[in-house]
Amino acid sequence: MASRDEIFGWVVDVLREEFDFTSEALAMDTHLIDDLDLDSIDAIDMTVRLEELSDISFSDSDLKSMRTIRDVVDLIDGRR
Amino acid sequence: MKLRLARLWRIAATGISFATFGAAGLVCGSVVLPIVRAWPGTEPERDFRCQYAVRRFFRAFVRMVEALGLMKVAVHGAERLQEPGQLVVANHPTLLDAVFVMSVMPRADCVVKSAVTTNPFMRSVARCAGYLSNDLEGELVDACVSRLRSGRSLLLFPEGTRSPRGALGPFQRGAAHIAFRSGRPFRPVVIRCDPPGLMRGQKWYDVADRSLEISIECCDLIYVEDAPAPGRGRGAAARRATAELRDFFGKRLQTPEG
Repeated sequence: MASRDEIFGWVVDVLREEFDFTSEALAMDTHLIDDLDLDSIDAIDMTVRLEELSDISFSDSDLKSMRTIRDVVDLIDGRR
Repeated sequence: MKLRLARLWRIAATGISFATFGAAGLVCGSVVLPIVRAWPGTEPERDFRCQYAVRRFFRAFVRMVEALGLMKVAVHGAERLQEPGQLVVANHPTLLDAVFVMSVMPRADCVVKSAVTTNPFMRSVARCAGYLSNDLEGELVDACVSRLRSGRSLLLFPEGTRSPRGALGPFQRGAAHIAFRSGRPFRPVVIRCDPPGLMRGQKWYDVADRSLEISIECCDLIYVEDAPAPGRGRGAAARRATAELRDFFGKRLQTPEG
């Protein structure tokens, strides 16, 4: 079972690999839209990878509820 | 005095043009297109017939505003828009850009703002011609890709709304995702308006000091890189392709030649 730190690591890895962000730009409170300029298509692409890593599925309402990296970590952590 | 009279005439002619466009949109959308659409055929055939009728309507409107002395529209390289199945992307300096471009495309699907689908003058036209509303969210890219793959051409304005005065707005990345998934290159269409007019936030009666010179430049295709799979760098590739596309438009708009 992955810890919150490991889940945070997954999210950071996905954002680095998918969008070429640097690790320094990614923290728990980083805002997905305001700071990273993610749009709805980006969010879908991000969750495709996270579903593979975490083995959980994201619904449309999950996507809409994600505002920060912390929200993504909380969502995965709460479903384990 | 002469200049003032000319300006008053352009204000009156602009009012007449907008009123005519609205009335024609109502008649076209509530009478003509439903009849054209009701004629037997498959869904795409019905869409195509309506899109052809819309093209005739837009072309007649462009001729009317030219005859009224409001603007001159010069199209460069219109033959490049005749091939079907093209992903046409344009900048958006004026209110009438879709009218200008679609008046020279034989058949065009278009992504329209959701406001158009509720506008009483244009909603029936948009519905009959099968245009896509931008509020489809996640389904919009799939719908656009499906239409391109079936050989239909698609007109997109990557800025999503009219450009700010004398500049380009930020480009949304939907066009790049559509290009990746459909495998279609971009067909850029650069639109210039001199002097600036029909801009976002501008009142219809706020006319320029002279008639508008509109240039529609249909450019060479821009090919995009092979996109990685989702979750494996496609997001970064979409950002790069969008930045390159915006850079292309920015450079073309620096040159006065249409």
